[in-house]
Amino acid sequence: MPPDNGAYMVAGYVVTAVILVGYAAALWRRAGRAVRGE
Amino acid sequence: MTLPTAGPRLVRRGLVICALALLGLAGVYVLAIGYTPVEARQGLAQKIFYLHVPAAWCALLAFSLVGLSSALYLWLHDARLDRFAAASAEVGVAFSAVMLTTGPIWAKPIWGTWWTWDARLTLTLFLFFLFIGYLALRAALVDPAERARFSAVVGILGMLLVPFIHLSVYLFRTLHPQPVVLKPSAPSLPPEMLQTLLASVAVFTLLYIGLVTARYGIALAEEAREAADAA
Repeated sequence: MPPDNGAYMVAGYVVTAVILVGYAAALWRRAGRAVRGE
Repeated sequence: MTLPTAGPRLVRRGLVICALALLGLAGVYVLAIGYTPVEARQGLAQKIFYLHVPAAWCALLAFSLVGLSSALYLWLHDARLDRFAAASAEVGVAFSAVMLTTGPIWAKPIWGTWWTWDARLTLTLFLFFLFIGYLALRAALVDPAERARFSAVVGILGMLLVPFIHLSVYLFRTLHPQPVVLKPSAPSLPPEMLQTLLASVAVFTLLYIGLVTARYGIALAEEAREAADAA
């Protein structure tokens, strides 16, 4: 019987999505400012 | 005012690639959770492997390319190489953050501790701090030629750590698992796990390309704006 540690998997998947989507969103906002010449 | 340079075009292209890669990442989540078997001894926590390994691959790829482009910059003095190094370093730090957070989250249920100061983990943390320093150095220097030259030296030094990190599990006594794919013998994974891992590596690499393209385009647009302001 595998150990019951699904919460760690969920934490790892959430953290990954937050970092990668967050960084992409930050680039998107910065790109908007750079392209508009603000 | 819209700037008439290649910057905005590269930014758009990069962001489209990022959007496709993030959709691919959602597909990797579905594959990892629904398609791969649950590992008998490690349980569901083992599935962090499908994100941790590709993040580590992209971080080491990014920092290796920073070193290579930095060495080429010192030789050729081409500003495009410096711009690429800066973009790759920033994206590499983002992937390192994924690697350095998912690793401890996996280690806690499997090793019983969040962190241990073994060679692989310690060298990886040093690499992360070194590239934080690289970005801080770039932000601190105003003169573009001086900034490119000094940061190129730091970038090359960072690249030199990469082979030690990959080989650290062979060179030192370490808790970190041995490689299961990038090793002299055939990959030692069941087909479902190997397919999901390779799909994830492809998606993360696509995301790396998209993020670097967008970041490079932003740098280009910012430089064009500064040139226009100075004129």
